[in-house]
Order: sequence, then structure tokens, then C-alpha cells
Amino acid sequence: MIVRSLRIRLMLGAAVAIFSALALAWLAMTLIFEHHLEQRLEAELTAQATLLLTDLSRNAQGLAIDGGPADPRYDAPASGFYWQASGGGSVLRSRSLWDQTLPAASDAQPDNWTHRSTQGPFGQRLFMLERQVRLDRAGPVVLVQLAQDVAPMSLAITEFGRELALFLLLLWAALSAAAWAQVQLGLAPIARIRRQLGLMQQRSEKRLPRGSLSEIEPLVAEINNLADAREADLNRARRRAADLAHSLKTPLAALSVQSRKARAAGAADAADGLDRAAAAIQRAVDWELARARITAVRQDGAASSAALPVVERLLGVLERTERGAELVFEVEIDKAVRVPMAADDLTELLGSLVENAVRHARRRVQAVADTTSGVALLIDDDGPPDDARAAVSAFKRRGRADEAGGGLGLSIARDLAEAAGAHFELAMSPLGGMRARIAWMREAPA
Amino acid sequence: MRVLVVEDDPDVGPDLLRGLEAAGFVAEWSRDGEDAWFRGDVEEFDAVVLDLGLPKMDGLTVLKRWREAERGFPVLVLSARGAWTEKVTGIEAGADDYLAKPFEMGELVTRVRALVRRAGGRTSSTIQIGKLTLDTHRMSATLEGAPVRLSPLEFRFIDFLAHQGGRAVSAGELSDHLYGSGAAAEANAIEALVLRLRRKLGQGLIETRRGFGYRLSGTGT
Repeated sequence: MIVRSLRIRLMLGAAVAIFSALALAWLAMTLIFEHHLEQRLEAELTAQATLLLTDLSRNAQGLAIDGGPADPRYDAPASGFYWQASGGGSVLRSRSLWDQTLPAASDAQPDNWTHRSTQGPFGQRLFMLERQVRLDRAGPVVLVQLAQDVAPMSLAITEFGRELALFLLLLWAALSAAAWAQVQLGLAPIARIRRQLGLMQQRSEKRLPRGSLSEIEPLVAEINNLADAREADLNRARRRAADLAHSLKTPLAALSVQSRKARAAGAADAADGLDRAAAAIQRAVDWELARARITAVRQDGAASSAALPVVERLLGVLERTERGAELVFEVEIDKAVRVPMAADDLTELLGSLVENAVRHARRRVQAVADTTSGVALLIDDDGPPDDARAAVSAFKRRGRADEAGGGLGLSIARDLAEAAGAHFELAMSPLGGMRARIAWMREAPA
Repeated sequence: MRVLVVEDDPDVGPDLLRGLEAAGFVAEWSRDGEDAWFRGDVEEFDAVVLDLGLPKMDGLTVLKRWREAERGFPVLVLSARGAWTEKVTGIEAGADDYLAKPFEMGELVTRVRALVRRAGGRTSSTIQIGKLTLDTHRMSATLEGAPVRLSPLEFRFIDFLAHQGGRAVSAGELSDHLYGSGAAAEANAIEALVLRLRRKLGQGLIETRRGFGYRLSGTGT
């Protein structure tokens, strides 16, 4: 099974490596401990053997001992502490051996104490120290043996091993936790970059913040370069699309000329076909231009403009239209009200909204700025309530109003407003018709 | 009725000429900005249809030069971009109306007719009301010498009151005059109109006489 998660891979690797190292440590420490205990035992037995040697002598009956080791455990039967001296046909033993004997020497040396592990009496495993000595120059070789049961030592080693294992397991858990924390810390920049990439996707002008860790910095720089290049490509493509859309406008007018000619010549079907095609191209062109503008608005985060002059200039245009000439325009916008949009873009946004209001109004169109919380611009008309209600509910339902009645304009207005960070909604107006509301929640920059 | 058509497109230009001639105008074609500016400067036209995207000199510049030279004929701007910013710039440069490309010929003819009618119906005279001067020919106003932009409705309102010799006119009568006697009385709309005019022209000009209606101050007792 291939583990797909980098975090789990790192964690598993760390846990296994730490575990192996601690297991090796356990093995080595147990061996060292055992070796140490054996050395201690050997030293102890050697000291006692030297004392035993000085007490040994030979008389006519054979071997004799004067006193012997003082340790009482050499007198208690099967105590695990034994000594034995044998040679010249006689054998001396500690009382603890009772009726048993220590196994004969295999390769005991005359000049040095040697030790070995052997099976002893009473089913005990013994650590035995032995040496061949001559008590006098003419006498026979005497084998002196001292032995101790290794069971207490083995028990100590086992207990040491168990306790050490427990401790090392705890250590393993602690080190694994530390490794986990390290992995988390190490991977945190990746998670942060992922979040920031998400933001970049939402707002194409965003970039990853510089000045992060030196290992991450090159990656951040590369991603930013890539995003710059991609955005430049996109902008080029958008500019070309907008240029193309503009360049189509005059040919479109020419196309309608051809359509009229065809109609005048009696080819009404052909003229209808031309008109339909021209209308479709016109819609596509309008959308393309609107999208180019929306993109520009999104990229222009620092823009700001005063609302009142824009509204007044728009009204100056609309007052000259046939519909607008019959309407009263009420403007309740303070000179100081500014919104975070370039004046051109605000002109387009409010232009389509006020034009829509003019189209539906009977007598009055209102433009009001509400600065109670943030900035909101309200465009109201006193058109027929039924039409307004239908348009509002259609807009809420489909996100756009009816296409015939300036629906494209309202959709574009909403996209423009949202690109500028505003909330856009349509509602019923207190004047009776429709209200368009563009609201920036925070105070617009001055 | 002479109309100058300024349009560089070889299809749209002749089509505009045909459409206007079919509607009874005498239409002449100019294909670039310099030619248009020159002809508008030295010849008399009743209206001009002006495309903004022109070779040699762009339409806005042509329009500004005409207005600077006090050439007052009505101008209908054809805007290829259809953007609001462009419409606003066009109107502020002195255009009287705008039409976005592509357009319906019928719509264009209607607009040109309306422009000619509006310009032709004006008699050149000015009315002085206190600090306010109304130019009934251009339908423009100046307050202490500074131009004030009035909408046609606002202009008609002031113009009507100015011709009442100081008489207070009721909201109902104003509504009849502005919207036609068939329309329902629009007291709200008249109030809103007065409010907006007071903003533009100062508080003192339009007086409210309770129970009677509105009158202009400084036009009799």
C-alpha cells in the first residue's frame, strides 16, 4: 500500500526510526548491565576464593580447612553459595552443598582463576570460579571451586530489562509526539500556501506574501511569477476580446444597413435572419465589454470617487432623453460621500441603474446616499408596482431580470457592484416602483 | 431642412443619408473630422448627426470646436461604445442627444426630428428673474453669470412661472401644464421638482404661498 499523505509518511518514518533506535539501546544496555553484574560477581568470588585458599592446608588425613568463609550462606543447604576443594583423594565442601558435589573442572588453570557457567546441584545454574593449586611443593594438585547461583542475578537482569523497556516505550511515545509536532510545524507553511492560493483563485490580483521561510521563499516567488504571467496573459486576452468587441460595432451597424436594403428589395426573410444574427452578435459584444470592465474594476482596488458629481453628470444626460425630460430627479447625496470605485466605473454602474429607473418611472426618480453604516447608494423609481415586483422576484430567482426590460443591464450592474466589493440588491421602493441598492459595508476610503 | 451626416463608414454613411432623405431632410455627407469641422463652421445646418470615431479629428474635438465658435445647431452623437462615460462626455461637450450604435433608422429619424423641432421652436430671448437669467433659445440658465444646468422639465417649470407675472400657481395647475391636463395631479412630483430647483438655484427664488401655490420672487407682488 502506498501512503499518499506526506504527513503520515513522515510520522511513520519517524516512529519506526525512533522505535528501532530505542530497541537497539535496550538491547545494548541490558547486555552492558549483565556484563557489569558478572564482573561484580567475579570480583566478589575472587576475594572470597583468596581467603579460602589461605585457610586451606594439608595434613596426614588429607585436606583440612581452618575456619573457612565467614559468610553464613555457605552453611545453609542449597543456599546457592558453594565452595569445594578436591585433590589427593580427599574432598572438602561447604555445608551448603549438603550431599552434592560441584561438577569437576573442565579446564581449570593452575596460575589463574577462571570462571564458567555450569549446571550445578539442586537444579541451579551456577557461576563457578575455579583454579588448580598446590598447597605445598610435594603435594598433589588441589582443585578449588567457588560457585554462586545465577538466579538472583538473572532476576535482576530481567527486572532491569522490563523496567528499561517500559521507560523506553514512554520515551518512544514522547519522541514520537515531538516528531509529530515537528511534522505539523514543518507542513504548516504548505497549508498556509494552500489557503493563500485559494484566495488567489478568488481574486486574481492577490499574491502570496513574501518574506516567509527561506526554504519556502523560492516556491512563493515562483508561484507569484506564474500568477503574474497568467494574469498578464488573461489581461492580454481580455483586451483583445474588448478590442474585438469594439471593432464589431461599426460592422454591426453596416449589417443592419444590409438588412434594410434586403428588406427594401423585398427579401424580408433574409432581412429577419440578418437582424437576428446582428442582435445575437450585439448581445455577445455587450457581454464581452461588460466583462472587460468588471475585470478592470476588480483589479482597481484602490480607486475611490465622489458619488454626487457622477450622479449629476448622468442625470444631465438622462434629462435630455425623451423619457428623462418628463421626470423629476431627486438627489439626496452629500458632497462628501465617496465610494471605492473609479468614477468611470461608477458612471457605468449607476448609468444602467438610473436608465432602468427612468425607463420605468412615471414621474420621479430618486438617487439617495445612506451613510448610516458604511455607504449605500439607492436608486428608486415610482413605476408600476406590479412590474417592479415581477422584475425583483425574477431577479432574485434567476439572478437576472427579464432580458427584454434591461435585464442584461441589471445583471451587469450587479456584477460590476460585486466586483467593486459591494452588495447589490433589488427591492420594492417606497415610491412604488423598484429600488436598486448598492452597499459597501465598511466606510469607503476617503 | 439640412442635416450634416458625419460618418466615416462607407456602408453606414450612405444608409444614414438615404434614411434621412426618405424622411424629408436634405442630408449631406462628411467623411472625416476636419472636413466636418470646416463645413459646420462655415455652412448653416438645421441638425448634425456626428459619429465620434472619425479619421483626422475625433468627433468630440469637432463638437467642442463648434461650440467654442458658438455654432448652436443641434447635434446628435452616434456613440460606438455605448458606454455611459462616453455619453456623459459627449453631452458635456455640447451634444444635444446621443444614440448608441447599432441603431434603428426609425429611432434616429425620430431623434433628429425632435432636435430640429426643439431648436426651431425657440425664439431667441432672455428673461431676467433676480439673479437668474433664462435663455429661452438655448433652454439654458445662468445664475449670477455662472451656467446652471436645468433639465427640460425644470426649464419649463421656471419658464412657466416666469410668465405668470408674479401670480402664485397651484401644484395642480403646474402639473397640468407640465404633464398635460389628462394626467392625474402629481403633487409629490411637483414638490420634488421644487426641492431640486431650490438646490440648484438657491432657496429664495421659488416661494411657497400657503394655500395658493408657487411663485417666483422678484416677479411682481
